[in-house]
Amino acid sequence: MNREELFTIANNWFANQGWKPFPFQTQTWTAFLQGKNGLLNAPTGSGKTYALWLPIVLNYIKENPNYKTKHNPGLKAIWITPLRSLSVEIKQAAERVITDLEAKMTVGIRSGDTSTAERTKQKGKMPDLLITTPESLQLLLASKGYENIFKNCSSIVIDEWHELLGTKRGVQVELALSRLKTVAKNIRIWGISATIGNLQQAQEVLLGIDTEAYHNSVLIKAHIQKKIKVVSVIPEKMDAYPWRGHMGLHLIDEAAKIIKASKTTLIFTNVRSACEIWYQRLLEKYPEFAGEMAMHHGSIDRETRLWVENAIRNEELKVVVCTSSLDLGVDFAPVESIIQVGGPKGVARFMQRAGRSGHQPGKESVIYFLATHAIELIEASALKKAVENGVIEDRVPYLNSWDVLVQYLNTLAVSDGFFPDEIFKEISKTFSYQTISKENWNWILNFITNGSQSLHAYDEFKKVEIDENSCYKITSRMIAMHHRMQIGTIVGDAVMNVKFISGGYIGTIEEWFISKLKPGDTFIFAGKKLELFAIRNMQVLVKKASPKKESKIASWMGGRMALSAQMSELLRQELYRANTENLSPELKALKPLFLRQRKESIVPTADEFLIETFKTIEGFHAIFYPFEGRFVHEALASLLAFRISLIQSISFSLAYNDYGFELLSDQEIDIQGMLDNNLLSTEYVHHDLQKSLNSTEMARRKFRDISVIAGLVFTGFPGKMVKTKHLQSGSQLLFEVFRDFEPDNLLLHQAYRETFEHQLEEGRLIMALERIQEQEIVWKQCLKPTPFSFPIITDRLREKLSSETLAERIQKMTASYMK
Amino acid sequence: MKIQIQDEYFNLHSSGALFWEKEKTLIISDVHLGKVSHFRKHGIAIPQNAVAENFKRLTDVIELFCPHKVIFLGDLFHSSKNAEWQLFQDWVTVCTGKLILVAGNHDIIDEKHYHKIGIEVVQLLEIGSFFFTHHPTEKENFFNFSGHIHPGITLRGLGLQTLKLRCFFQKPNQLILPAFGEFTGKYILKPNQDDIVYAIAGNEVILINN
Repeated sequence: MNREELFTIANNWFANQGWKPFPFQTQTWTAFLQGKNGLLNAPTGSGKTYALWLPIVLNYIKENPNYKTKHNPGLKAIWITPLRSLSVEIKQAAERVITDLEAKMTVGIRSGDTSTAERTKQKGKMPDLLITTPESLQLLLASKGYENIFKNCSSIVIDEWHELLGTKRGVQVELALSRLKTVAKNIRIWGISATIGNLQQAQEVLLGIDTEAYHNSVLIKAHIQKKIKVVSVIPEKMDAYPWRGHMGLHLIDEAAKIIKASKTTLIFTNVRSACEIWYQRLLEKYPEFAGEMAMHHGSIDRETRLWVENAIRNEELKVVVCTSSLDLGVDFAPVESIIQVGGPKGVARFMQRAGRSGHQPGKESVIYFLATHAIELIEASALKKAVENGVIEDRVPYLNSWDVLVQYLNTLAVSDGFFPDEIFKEISKTFSYQTISKENWNWILNFITNGSQSLHAYDEFKKVEIDENSCYKITSRMIAMHHRMQIGTIVGDAVMNVKFISGGYIGTIEEWFISKLKPGDTFIFAGKKLELFAIRNMQVLVKKASPKKESKIASWMGGRMALSAQMSELLRQELYRANTENLSPELKALKPLFLRQRKESIVPTADEFLIETFKTIEGFHAIFYPFEGRFVHEALASLLAFRISLIQSISFSLAYNDYGFELLSDQEIDIQGMLDNNLLSTEYVHHDLQKSLNSTEMARRKFRDISVIAGLVFTGFPGKMVKTKHLQSGSQLLFEVFRDFEPDNLLLHQAYRETFEHQLEEGRLIMALERIQEQEIVWKQCLKPTPFSFPIITDRLREKLSSETLAERIQKMTASYMK
Repeated sequence: MKIQIQDEYFNLHSSGALFWEKEKTLIISDVHLGKVSHFRKHGIAIPQNAVAENFKRLTDVIELFCPHKVIFLGDLFHSSKNAEWQLFQDWVTVCTGKLILVAGNHDIIDEKHYHKIGIEVVQLLEIGSFFFTHHPTEKENFFNFSGHIHPGITLRGLGLQTLKLRCFFQKPNQLILPAFGEFTGKYILKPNQDDIVYAIAGNEVILINN
C-alpha cells in the first residue's frame, strides 16, 4: 500500500468519527511514515494521541498487507507515559483505532499496577502495542533476553515529554533510548510535549547530541491557542486578608459561589496537605456538596482516582479538590471552572490547569486565582500579564546524573550483562552524559565492581562482577532482586502503605510524616479521619477515628516550588507599579496593606533595594527583598550569612520565600558596616557559595535522593519489610560517612553540583546581585514586623549557618524538657 | 569531663567511652563493628575507610586510658562474622587488659569465637552496686550502665537555633552511653527534669543547662 492509500484509510476513519484531521496530525503521519523521528508540540486535549497512534497502525498495515486476516505478533510500538493513571485512557484510544481498522493487533499495559501473572504472560508474548512508564521500561531492560523483546520494535513514543524533561526520570528515558537505538535498528523515536520555553532543546535531549536520529527528525507544532481568562478572587473587605497563610480558607465562601455557578469545578492546590484541608472544610461548611464532591491526589489509591476521573467525565461531580495529579492527560469536557489556590509558581503549569476547563469549541478557559495571603495577590496580577504575553519557562535537563547512570548500569548487569566500550559509546551520545570523560566512566565502573576506587584487603564488596569474556554482570540473585526493587524508587521520599486493620488499602504516605506520630494519634488522610494503630512491616495500620478527636493533617514535602526567572521579573514590575497611579484590581485591593507597610517601611520602587531590621522575642531579624524567587533567595541568604559570619562570630537561621529572605540571629547585625564590607559584591560569589554550602544542609538533602537512586539506601521490599532492617541506614548518616571518608566520591560531588545547578541557580544569583548594585539600598530599622516581612519570619522550615564553635553555641542553648 | 556516681568517679570521654577511674575500667557501648563490611557484602558501597576508623578510635581510647579492663555494653559486632572479624582479632591481640562483652541484640556471633580470642561473654554484669546491661534496665538498689538506644539530644536557642548532638543520658539510677561506632546514628531523647544530659560537641563533653 502506498502512502496515499494509507492516508485514505486514516481520513476515512476520522470522517467516520465526525472529525477532520488537524494539519499537525497529518504532518505527523507523513513524517512518521517517511521514517522520521520527531517532537510534537501539542497541548492536552488536542488529539495528540491520534496524531501518533494512527501512523503506528498504518505502518503495520503497510508492512502486513493481509493485516485483516493474519496477525504478525511481536512488539511493534512502546508508548511511555509519566503517570500510570493515564495508561487506561491511552489504551482505549489505541483499541478504538485498531478495532475500527480491523487490524488484528493487541494492546497491553505494563506498569507498577500490572499483576505478576500478567507480566509473566507478557514476557512470553508481548502485545503489539505496549503502554508503560519510564520505570517499567527500565525493568524490561533488567530482564534476561531483553534484546529479543525489542529487536523488531519500530517505534517508541514519549508522551508528556515536558514533564519528564528536567527530572531524573527524563534521564532514565534518555538512557533507555540510547540502548534501544542499538537493539532495535529501525526504531522511530517520537516525543509529545506541551509548550515550554526550550522546545528545541527538548528535541535534542530526546534524540541525542549530533546523532543520526536527531538529524533525521522534525519539530511539529500544533499551533492551538486557547483563550484564557484569569480572574482574581478578591473579597469585598480586604481587612480580613491574612498577612501570611498558605491555605486560602478565608475565601472558602467565594470559592463556593463559583462552584455553585458552574457544572463542574476543579480546585487545584499546590500541595497534598492543602488538598486534604480544603476538602474537609468545604464538606464541613457546605454539607450539601456531599456526594458530589471528591478528592484526587497522587497518594490516593488508584481505584479511587480512576473512579473520580470517570465521575468527572460522566458529570457526576460538582467539585473535585486536586493537586498536580490532575494536570496531565485525560480530558474532562464537563469542567467549566478552575480555581487555583495559591501561586502556581509557573506560567506553563498555570496555563495547563486553565486549559482543563472550557473544552467545547470556541469556549474560553476561565481560571480563578485564589491568593492565600495578601502579597500573593501581586503574583496574581503578574500571572495575568504572563498569560497575556505568553511568557513560558524552560525545563532545565539534568547533566551528568551519576546516580541514574549507576542505576542503569546495574540494570544492564542484572539482565544479560554489558560490555563497557559499547555502552560508553551509546551514553556519550545522550544529552545528559555528553561531557562524560573516560576518567568519570572508569570511576563509575570501579564503583559498581569494587565499591571503591582502590582495592583493600579484607574487603568483601560484591555487586557487579566481570566474567571471563569481560562482560559486566550481577550474578547474586539476592543483589539482583534488591536492584529490581529499587528501580521504581527514582523519585520521592520513602513511602508506606496505609491500610485499615480490618483490611482495605487507602493509599501511600511519606514515612517522615508517620514517624512523627504515635499510636493513638489522629490524622486526616484521603479525606478520612484516621487513628494510627501501629506501624508494621512498612505498613501503616489505621482505624477510623472518632470524629471529635483533634487531628493532624498529613503533609507532604516537595510542595515548595519556586518562581521562575521570567515570573519574578514580572512580579517585580507589578510590585513597582504599586507606587504609581496605574493600579490593577489586585493592587487596588492591596491598598490597606501597602498603607501599613509604608507606616514602618517603604514599598520599594525599581531603583530601590529594601532591607528591614527589627527585634522580636525570637531575636534580631534582618529581611532583604530582592523579589527574585525562592531559589535565588536561598542562595543569596546563604551567601550573605556566610559573608557576615566571616566578619563576626555568629549563628544564623535562614528563611525565604519568593519575595525575600531573612537572616535571624541572637545578635544584632550592623547592616551599614556589612554593606561597607562588600556584602553584596559579585566577586568571589562561586567561592563564597561553595564555602557556605559546606555549612548548610542543602547538599545533604540532595544527597538523599542521589543515594536512593544509586542504590546506597536500601528501601526494602514494599509491603513486606522482613529481615532487611540490618541493611538500612539513614541518608543523613550516609552523607556524613561519605563526606568524612570518601570526599572524592562522584555521587557526593553530584549532590553539591545539583545544589548549584538546580537549586541555587548561580547564574541568576549573579544577575540579581548585578541588578541590586544598580539600586539604591534603603535600610529601614523598624519597630515591629512589617506586612512584607510577615510571611517570611513565620516560616519554620529553616536553614542554619554558623561560625561560632559548638561549645559557644551550646552555652547559649537549652534542651527542651518533657512537661 | 569528670562526674561522680555513688562515691565513684567516672570520666566521660568525647569518643563516647566512659572511664571508671578507681577500677581502671573502660566502658564502651554499641561499636557495631562489621556494619560497613556487612553493607558492602550486600552491594552497598559504604566507604571502606570507615572500617579503619572504628579500630583507630578503639586504639586511641585504650592508649589514652590504659585500662585494666574493658566492658563492651553490647552490639559490639553488627552482624554475623565477616572480614572485619580478622581486624578485630588483630586489635584484640595488641590490646592489654581483660575484655568483657555484655551481649546485645546484634551480637549474634557464637560465644565460642569470642572465647577463642580471650573475650568473656555475659548477659549482664554486676560489680558492687553497679549493674551493666545492653538494654537500659532498672534494678532496685543498683545503678545501671547501658547502651542500645544511641542517645542524642536536640538543643534550642534564641534566633531559632537548633543542634542535634550525641550524648550521655543520665537518669536517677541509670547512665545510657552514646554509640561509640562510626556509621551508627543517634536517637533523639527528650529529658525529664531530673535527667542530666552531657552532650558531645567535637572533642568536648558539655553539661547541658537545665
